[in-house]
Amino acid sequence: MDPQTLQTTGLTLKWLLTIAWLLPLLGFVVELIGGGWVWGRYSKNAAYLSVMCIVTGFVCSFIALMTWGNATEWSALKDHGATHGTSHAEPSRHASGVDAHGAPKPAAEAAHGHDDHAKPVAKDAAHPAHDDHAKPAAAVHVAADHAHGTPHHAAPKVVFTGIFYRLAQFGSLDISLSYYIDSLTLVMFTMVTFIASCIHIFAIGYMSEELTDNYADHQVHTSHGHLHRPGRFHRFFSFLSLFCFSMLGLVLAGNIFQVFIFWELVGVCSYFLIGFYTERKSASNAANKAFIMNRVGDFGFLIGLMIVWTWFGNFQFGDLPAHGQTQPGLFSMVRGNDGQMKLHVPESGQAEVVFKNQDNHIQTKPNGEQRTIPYWLLVAAGLGVFGGCIGKSAQFPLQTWLPDAMEGPTPVSALVHSATMVAAGVYLVGRFYPMFTPEVLLVIAYIGAITLFLAATIAVVATDIKKVLAYSTISQLGYMMLGLGLGGWAAGLFHLITHAFFKSLMFLASGSVIYGCHHVQEMPQMGGLRRKMPLTAYTMLVGVIAIAGLAIPYVTLPGGEPIAFSGYHSKDAIVATALTYMNLNGHHLLFFLPLAGAGITAFYMFRLWFYTFAGEPRDKEVYERAHESPWVMVGPLVVLSFFAAFCAFGGEKGLLFKLLLDSEPASVPGGYVAQTEYLSQGLLNLKLPSHEAIHAKHDRAGTLALIMAFVGAGCAYLVYGVRWVNAAEIKQQFSGIHRFLVNKWGFDEFYDMLFVKPTHVVAGWCSAIDRVIFDGFLHASAKAAVKVSDWDRQFDETIVDGAVNTVGNWTFAIGRSLSVVQTGRMRNYVMFIAVGLLGIFALLIMFFPN
Amino acid sequence: MDLSSYLLVGAVLFVAGVVCMATKRNGIGVLMGVELVLNGANINFVAFANYTRLGLDGQVISLFVIVLAAAEAAVALAIALSFYNNHLTIDVDQANQLQG
Amino acid sequence: MTGHQLLFWVFAAVTCGGAIAVVLTQNVVRMAFWLIVSLGASAGLFFLLNADFVGTAQLLVYVGGTLVLLVFGVMLTASGPFSKMQTRPGELFLAGVVAILLLGLLGSSVCSVEWDRVIAATNSGHQITNQQSLNHGFNRPEEGNTGHPLGMAFLGMRPDRDLVAGNKTLSTGYLLPFEIASVHLLVVLIGAAYLARAKRRVHPNEL
Repeated sequence: MDPQTLQTTGLTLKWLLTIAWLLPLLGFVVELIGGGWVWGRYSKNAAYLSVMCIVTGFVCSFIALMTWGNATEWSALKDHGATHGTSHAEPSRHASGVDAHGAPKPAAEAAHGHDDHAKPVAKDAAHPAHDDHAKPAAAVHVAADHAHGTPHHAAPKVVFTGIFYRLAQFGSLDISLSYYIDSLTLVMFTMVTFIASCIHIFAIGYMSEELTDNYADHQVHTSHGHLHRPGRFHRFFSFLSLFCFSMLGLVLAGNIFQVFIFWELVGVCSYFLIGFYTERKSASNAANKAFIMNRVGDFGFLIGLMIVWTWFGNFQFGDLPAHGQTQPGLFSMVRGNDGQMKLHVPESGQAEVVFKNQDNHIQTKPNGEQRTIPYWLLVAAGLGVFGGCIGKSAQFPLQTWLPDAMEGPTPVSALVHSATMVAAGVYLVGRFYPMFTPEVLLVIAYIGAITLFLAATIAVVATDIKKVLAYSTISQLGYMMLGLGLGGWAAGLFHLITHAFFKSLMFLASGSVIYGCHHVQEMPQMGGLRRKMPLTAYTMLVGVIAIAGLAIPYVTLPGGEPIAFSGYHSKDAIVATALTYMNLNGHHLLFFLPLAGAGITAFYMFRLWFYTFAGEPRDKEVYERAHESPWVMVGPLVVLSFFAAFCAFGGEKGLLFKLLLDSEPASVPGGYVAQTEYLSQGLLNLKLPSHEAIHAKHDRAGTLALIMAFVGAGCAYLVYGVRWVNAAEIKQQFSGIHRFLVNKWGFDEFYDMLFVKPTHVVAGWCSAIDRVIFDGFLHASAKAAVKVSDWDRQFDETIVDGAVNTVGNWTFAIGRSLSVVQTGRMRNYVMFIAVGLLGIFALLIMFFPN
Repeated sequence: MDLSSYLLVGAVLFVAGVVCMATKRNGIGVLMGVELVLNGANINFVAFANYTRLGLDGQVISLFVIVLAAAEAAVALAIALSFYNNHLTIDVDQANQLQG
Repeated sequence: MTGHQLLFWVFAAVTCGGAIAVVLTQNVVRMAFWLIVSLGASAGLFFLLNADFVGTAQLLVYVGGTLVLLVFGVMLTASGPFSKMQTRPGELFLAGVVAILLLGLLGSSVCSVEWDRVIAATNSGHQITNQQSLNHGFNRPEEGNTGHPLGMAFLGMRPDRDLVAGNKTLSTGYLLPFEIASVHLLVVLIGAAYLARAKRRVHPNEL
């Protein structure tokens, strides 16, 4: 690929994605201004505008994806496995990861040896144009993860990165708005905009009840019955637009700080949308809970950011030209271009990670020492950032906010709390992957495994249709985390994409059910609805099969592909990774938990479907009033069900997986083996599975998972479909476990006891101190002030006023007495003059006798 | 005759005028008292003109006094008439609106 | 006892007696009469003081004009021809005491001054001694015949002062006060006519 093409492609992608990113912001502003005042409450203009923005965004994203593909000649879609398997000069590189039982050879060394030659040709050509560091810089990297064979045979990893706008610069440290575009970004953009488009359109129907001046909220009880308030149609859509802007900004972000900014913006949008029915106490509580739980995670994120800022002095993901040379990004600093960390143990004994340049040379300080970061700090940074992901993706132990977040309108649940926002955590783990050490990855895997199992078990007993889906979401997010943590980078993100499709589909379908049943959400009041709303029922069934991961065994398509929906492929990939990992490292839980989870998932999803759509109606009244939703709502369901079924077509040889694989960090495909010479430093002896190894285990893992899924689905059919076993009896028999699960493993109570109650106690103390000491002091001083002013008043009234009044009275009396003299008779005055004259002379004579 | 004799005559006229003003309840009587006072002053002016260096100036001033006295008498009589028209009496004790 | 002294005593006695009579008389017409007597006698005193023009003016203006005016006033305002307004005896007594004290004060003041010394002191300096300089009918004031110099003084010239030999500067006359007095008299004329005009009682149905 010639450099000129790369550069123009980079600019095209940048502007296309920027348009797709900023359009929703424009929409938000216009809707905010126009919605309330200009268009009025009955207008759907806000919705149309917001749909227009997001659909345009989708078109831009899709064009961007196509442009990228054409520019790279779709090299990503060429058979990776074959390339790796056949054209590789040294098979030992991959074999070393697989060979768990043999002595682990230092694969890094091998990779090192030949990757040095593969200097990215395009990069050198692209840089000189952007030497001026003051200008927003852009760069194209072709990080070669191919073998040392001729470059045009293999697929180079193409990354477009650059700076939109530099916010601040402190020496070499700078904070900027930048972008980082690789195939993951493009796929995420396309997925987010597509699903958001569907959900926006669905929401036009679902939120139409808000197009009124007098919306009756039946869940808020006032002294006059239900609450009546003006509708907030435009507000809903303006928040949706703001959310889309934030989410796309997060995906496009080229540095970890920018990610954090949009991370928080997404959190705020989530807060607004969960609390949309703000008059409902439960909704505002849920909004608060979500926000606060996320803050707990974000605290970790901030710590991670601080470590990165302090030790790396750089937030950029990718390499950027700066100060006339290339400033290596975080990924290059930690992993170089071969994906391997270089460890170094100085005399003091603490292991350190040596910083590299983008061309794999070791970075040095001006005094010639190596630039390093202590290994444990890198672990801490990774754990910190992952803490943020725990909060955002509702992982154990911060998972409790997500079910409560179902208080928001259903389209919000679909978009924000299942398909995209909660996926941001997973996305960030994927994006930040090169920064994670194997220890961090192990933590990620365990968190994911615990979460998926825990949430799945709770979902089994939930009766609210949206709550079931919420727990299912948590569980599936756990799967993704597990996959990423186990080294199945592409598998985890693969599941992220497929899950986004089928979960948004199911949420929208449940929204359609809720809308059709006039806001009844409890499954025990439903049943038999497939006769009333067939389209909703069968699109939902597609989603259920997808998430359950069902396939038709022993029947394959001509290409050797099993007949299955998307969830089968993605979950299969994760389970296969888990199996490989277990074989390499032990950690059996990490395999058996997801395997059990697969069965439970199938069980509760089919339970939901049978409960809602199959059998006889349980509540006649609800059934009678139920109806199929309008086309504006069903249409998106149909479209989404198509994608939920077929987006992962081809599995690991399919289009989507290969697109993702193209962005895979360089360390992943070959697996990772901790360097044995440093094991004495206390590092865990962890080996990450290579592609080859996973591929080898794929069939076995797939079969196991499929069996589990069938078992789960079968149980659900027996219990809820044909009602062969009475569910109530089972509930009776295991009432202890049931209660435990209904209480969500007691997490809310636990947190209540651990944090809320002590806080209340301390707050009680504080308020007591306030009341007794501070208030007492204040009251005493206030009383003293009153007393003093009372005295003051007495003084004023008696002495000051008294003096003035006395003087006045005297003056008056004297004047009154003197006025007697003023007879008004002229004759008297003449006499006075004469007497006065005499008096004056008398005085004169008296005092001056001479 | 010396100056002081004339001055004494003036003093007698002055005192008589003052007493006249102070005792007469008739408004015209009061006016007459004023004329006496003025005449007493005139005698003093003319006496000083004759006996001291004041000379012609004293006579000039006394002429002015005579003229002004005539004018004053005219105005005062007009006031008295007006007062009489309003009160149907000339008793100055009735004009006590300035009483405090 | 020169003739001048005799005349002085006669005129002085009549002047003072008339004035006291004015005070003591209760009848307003008689008061007017006694006032004529007093003022006329004082005109005689003016003649004795060589102020022939002033004396003439006294007779003309006071006796001839003012008193006629007063008598007219008496007649216009009298509710009866002999109306009396009695003063209270206490007031009369008090007035008498004040009068005696005042007279005593003035008299003692006059007598306590040594007038010859005062005159001598004031006449020192520019004493007009050169008799020859005053000729052509311009006398010193103490020599009488004052009509001519007074008329010139009212026209703003002082021949009695300026015709002294060696005099370099002109003394001021009384033209401006004279003019002011003229205007003043006009104003008084109009004002008195206005104040004393007959009030027309207008009946409402005449309108």
